[in-house]
Amino acid sequence: MNLTINGISHEVAGSELAPLLDVLREELGIMGAKAGCHQGGCGSCTVLVDGEPRRSCLLPAGYADGTQITTVEGLGAPENLMPIQQAFVHYYAAQCGFCTSGMLLAAQAYLDRGGTDDPEAIQHALAGHVCRCTGYSKIIDAVAAAARGDSFDLTTTAVGKHTTMANGGAE
Amino acid sequence: MKVVGARIPRYDGVAHVTGRTTYVDDVSVPGTLWAKALRSPHHHARITKLDTSKAESMPGVHAVITWKDVPLLEYGHLAALGIPADEPLLAKDEVRYLGQPIALVAAQSEELAAAAVDAIEVGFEERPALFDIRQAFDSESPKIHQWGNWYPHFEGEMDVRQIRKGDIERAFEDADTIVQGVYRPAAIEHAPIETQVCQVVPEPNGRLTIYSCTQALYFSLGVVAAHLQVPLNKLKIVGGTTGGGFGGKVDTATETMSCLLAMKANRPVKWRWTREEEFLCSSTRAPWHMELATAVTKDGWILGLKMLTLHDSGAYARFSPYGLTKHSFHHTGAYSIPNLHFDGYVVFTNRTPTTAMRGFGVTSVSFAVETHMNRIANELGLDPIEIRLKNANRIGDTSPNGIAYTDPSTVETIQAIAEAIGHELPADYRTMTNEPRTGELLPEHLVSQVGSTEGH
Amino acid sequence: MAVASVASDAATEVLMPGSEDEAIATFGVGAEVVVVGGGTIVVPDMTYRRLRPAKALMLGSAGLSGIGTDGSRVTIGATTPVQALVDLKAPLGPCASNVADLEIRSQGTVGGNLCAGDGTEAPRGDLQGAFLALGATARSAANGDVTEEPLEDFLGKRHERLLLSVSFDEPAAGAFVGLDRPHTHDYTALAVSGARAQDGTLRLAATGAGSWGARLPSAEAAAGDPAVAGEAALNDVTPHDDALASAWYRTKVLPVLVRRVLTALEEST
Repeated sequence: MNLTINGISHEVAGSELAPLLDVLREELGIMGAKAGCHQGGCGSCTVLVDGEPRRSCLLPAGYADGTQITTVEGLGAPENLMPIQQAFVHYYAAQCGFCTSGMLLAAQAYLDRGGTDDPEAIQHALAGHVCRCTGYSKIIDAVAAAARGDSFDLTTTAVGKHTTMANGGAE
Repeated sequence: MKVVGARIPRYDGVAHVTGRTTYVDDVSVPGTLWAKALRSPHHHARITKLDTSKAESMPGVHAVITWKDVPLLEYGHLAALGIPADEPLLAKDEVRYLGQPIALVAAQSEELAAAAVDAIEVGFEERPALFDIRQAFDSESPKIHQWGNWYPHFEGEMDVRQIRKGDIERAFEDADTIVQGVYRPAAIEHAPIETQVCQVVPEPNGRLTIYSCTQALYFSLGVVAAHLQVPLNKLKIVGGTTGGGFGGKVDTATETMSCLLAMKANRPVKWRWTREEEFLCSSTRAPWHMELATAVTKDGWILGLKMLTLHDSGAYARFSPYGLTKHSFHHTGAYSIPNLHFDGYVVFTNRTPTTAMRGFGVTSVSFAVETHMNRIANELGLDPIEIRLKNANRIGDTSPNGIAYTDPSTVETIQAIAEAIGHELPADYRTMTNEPRTGELLPEHLVSQVGSTEGH
Repeated sequence: MAVASVASDAATEVLMPGSEDEAIATFGVGAEVVVVGGGTIVVPDMTYRRLRPAKALMLGSAGLSGIGTDGSRVTIGATTPVQALVDLKAPLGPCASNVADLEIRSQGTVGGNLCAGDGTEAPRGDLQGAFLALGATARSAANGDVTEEPLEDFLGKRHERLLLSVSFDEPAAGAFVGLDRPHTHDYTALAVSGARAQDGTLRLAATGAGSWGARLPSAEAAAGDPAVAGEAALNDVTPHDDALASAWYRTKVLPVLVRRVLTALEEST
């Protein structure tokens, strides 16, 4: 099978039914996608397949054959962060960081689909992603800020009230 | 000061958003073997047979360990907290909770390790199990722990954590009403997105490098050294970013067993729990049963509190006595209650052993106390915020365990809450402070309370 | 470390047919063959070693995906992703939107969802009720023989036949009401679908009130009075206990969902 990951083509052996996640982590040493549950329930394994978010722990490698796969490593590098990455840093949207790579990819796909700063739409897009640390509000704020095209001062963090269930996104 | 008070981003924020943060499972060492555990399918049973020979001889299997391989057969190492050992690291004669580890295998692949676990021959004789802490005290209930069904090793070999303060009988006589409530928060699973995981590498110089997801690096180092009966300098523990812990990654649940496999196989070993193991077998926040009876006056003074707490420790003690002790020290919450009668028990059941989780021991009692305050306000027909302000801790009031408060922020906090939710307070409540009580805020029943206590 | 542990075991033989005919031939009588639509059900079961198939039939390239219309007749290929249905009219659109989350819907297929295991073990089959309410037929194959039959009949044999497509006539009106969980990516705990066909026939069906989707004939017969119909629905199904909801809870809520669906159908006529 041929898997193109972050623009680099890899020939992989093994079963077409092997989860893409295991091929990425164990055969190819690409560690950004995480094994949170191996059941598709947490979102931490999410990668983009031809630009669309998929659970790599559920996706048979055979179905990824010939596609363009993007992992978190395919977003910006530290010296060249994409807006969504900058937003997560500036809004303190990652604590332990284990859910972050999945969140970022799902969020980037949302933005690529023309996603707006509407908190409900963001929640719907990220509905499959579980975070145990942040309580989600700063993640939603970060995605909203990126959707608005805000620029981010990475030497400091955002100030102000954040999205809550009660205020539905009001500042 | 450049940092205190400044809004600075996380030092690892950029690493997180570029996928460069290294978690234990991201550590990739050539030659690493997969570990898998044989776990008890029963809640309570005697082990009648344990034969690992078939598993050991399977191709691709490098090591199998049982209790026999553990130099100090104890889970955790809590003698420093005064808690004697009650739990074997790997089950010996019996199992007391579903999921309890009995043996571990290290093999060439996850698939082979799982097949080897299936090949271990194990026999059980089931025993009756106890799940309801309220039944633990019945003589007809099964006895499920070598110490009896509740922990008997508090100071002075007491089997109950007690606080006594003032004169509870007098408080109940003087009260206009007794308000009662029973509060039973359920267990909570930490559910960190990263499951329990450990990687151990035997080094050429005879040391072991342990990549651990622990929240308590030096504690875990000490625990493992004690289990392995080796000096601390034989182990190098590498912590780093924990993928969520919340109290559930203090138990040191994987490190020792991974070390034993690595030593026996003389190969690096990784043990990564599945999400199912994490849900079924990892320790949880404990369920609690709390009964409160408060003696109150009709104008909202709390004269006394009589409380019984049962803490569900699960099958073994672990940190529970410590958690219950903290719980007892905080059992009046943010309020000054002069007469106290608290009894707390650490009760064993055949459930997964419980452990710390954010606010260990105290969140349960906060929940009970605050819900109960609303109940009191309701029964007396009083405003729930005013009744809190009246009884709130002030300078000089004492905690259940006799510590005089030097600067409690209760009054200010409640006033801020009232303002934030648009709750109008009468002028005298709006101007309350945490200054030592005088005048109307120091009624007779509190006079002797300030600066006095009794308990253990 | 060994790759893709699946490969190192008495490995599953993977077959990837390139057309419907090839798929039918490869499926044969379906003995010892596990059918893989998107993989959202089979892959985790294999990861957790609950499923160790000798042969797996991966349908992704068999050309079975797509939604086609012929007048008012709609045909949905078995490997159409669930996500492709979310913009369709009720009951199917809202039912599909209610399934899991975007990633799962995009990978999971209509066929995989319909053919999922019994609900008491693995509560999936979210779409069964919606298709039953639409009076759908299922086209399937076994032993080289292709049949089209009412979905109700197919569901009883869904593990023995290879589903190829599902068809239905556009209804005059449709409605869907499901238990709305506070967070998505749950399976359907309980949902009711309803549709009034062009010829006036009313169909109601429940998902999650028993081991698979079921029609509610007693409720249909009493449809004139939604409250009565709601209670009557309890004659048609035996709600069960599972991790999502208790039988007691389902018994309380089912009549409510039936009433709401009937009310919605009335309002749209």
